[in-house]
Amino acid sequence: MTPELCTLVTGASSGIGRETALRLSQHGPLLLHGRDVARLEETRVRCQHPERHHLWPHDLADLAGIERSLVQLLAAQGLQVARFVHCAGVLQVGPLRLLDRGAIERTMNVNFLSAVEITRLLVRKKINEKALNGVVFVSSTASQFGAKGFGIYCASKSALDGYMRALAVELAPAVRVNAVLPGAVRTAMTEHMFEDADVLERMQRDYPLGVGEQADIAAAVNFLLSDEARWVTGQQLVVDGGRTVNITG
Amino acid sequence: MSQPFDLAGRRILVTGAAAGIGRATCQRVASMGAHVLAVDRDEAGLAALLGQLPGTGHASRMMDLRELEEIPAAMIACAEEGGRLAGVVHAAGISSVAPTRLLAPRHYRDVLAINTEAALALVRGFQNRKVCEESGGSVVLIASVMALVGSVGGTAYSMSKAALMGLARSAALEYAPRGIRINCVAPGFVKTQMYEKVAASWDAVQREQIERAHPLGLGDPDDVANSVAFLLADASRWITGSTLVCDGGYTAS
Repeated sequence: MTPELCTLVTGASSGIGRETALRLSQHGPLLLHGRDVARLEETRVRCQHPERHHLWPHDLADLAGIERSLVQLLAAQGLQVARFVHCAGVLQVGPLRLLDRGAIERTMNVNFLSAVEITRLLVRKKINEKALNGVVFVSSTASQFGAKGFGIYCASKSALDGYMRALAVELAPAVRVNAVLPGAVRTAMTEHMFEDADVLERMQRDYPLGVGEQADIAAAVNFLLSDEARWVTGQQLVVDGGRTVNITG
Repeated sequence: MSQPFDLAGRRILVTGAAAGIGRATCQRVASMGAHVLAVDRDEAGLAALLGQLPGTGHASRMMDLRELEEIPAAMIACAEEGGRLAGVVHAAGISSVAPTRLLAPRHYRDVLAINTEAALALVRGFQNRKVCEESGGSVVLIASVMALVGSVGGTAYSMSKAALMGLARSAALEYAPRGIRINCVAPGFVKTQMYEKVAASWDAVQREQIERAHPLGLGDPDDVANSVAFLLADASRWITGSTLVCDGGYTAS
């Protein structure tokens, strides 16, 4: 049986991950990852050609379980992953003194270490042949700057970007690896930030092009995965409506 | 954003249009439906390009970008003749390899004028309400990885390209309220005539070193043109003040 080549999108049950899946669904089969099967199913039916996409329900905080879960699924469904987009992410804002080890580990596992584990598996010939050719990590402008209460989130995204650069060099020319660094986009993950009227007002002031939409990020991911970006690797593409270059008081 | 990679009917000015990255950009955006306004000082090169562009509505204009004061006025004239612009790509550039001690002002004046100051004049020209479409537009400045790293002999070229990134950041903020986006593309070493000219001074070992420093190999002008097209199109509507490095992994390694 010829294996079916697909694009793996983690965090596809909501937010940027879901929007990315909808955007990429026109190009070919997807492997939609998320924790919640019902919400993943909702993403699938909203995709173009819903019947050709596959689901991978798993909690990426369970790092040790990724290998068994993913390897079994690929074998059972006759899939190989040609492209991998890591959108899964958690954000827990709070002062360091109030953070417990569990929250720290969860953030590092979901945002960063799961991407390491998945790429480690996808470059093994026994598991994925040599199918992998493109990787995009959805990082954050938080990988470049600090903010109160964001220590572990910033660390997880900086780690992701550092890993991205090294991986791009190690896997070239067979695999291109890049990151998209979104500014604040309104999603379920960030909704609590936008509920505060003061924060919303500040955001609107700080973002020269206004607060972004999930589709803006999906479009950048789509570009980096496409052949149009065939000479782009090891890069951080900032998509933030001009926020990080804005120091206007 | 139903057609995020469409440029149908949009008028795009491209400098350095007769060769290299500028030429590839003209071909790329024309294939996406844009009307190209090709600018260069090479008349024969412009005529040859115009004969090859797909689509209709293209025009060309001879310009010497060292005549900085004339650029905004020329852009107004172009807009009045052929319609307002939706985008500008500054691909014109000249190379410079010289030790710093030899960089008396007269030796880098043209490098700075064409690579950097012309970009500022183009932004000034574009923001004029007679030139830019009411809904805004996109400016893409071709910088270089030499803006991010250094090389012996590259002082003038590096500074001319690094300045573009500063220009893009601040001008992007100034014009964001009018829907004008300003970004840079920073290419690695691309197989163009300009590269051949610079590489002519290298020995075989140096050439091989440069090639090996690009994990995906040396670039093709089309590779850079594709990144420019992305920054012109609506797919990048939330990207401004930013630099897209298109270098085959050169700066990552």
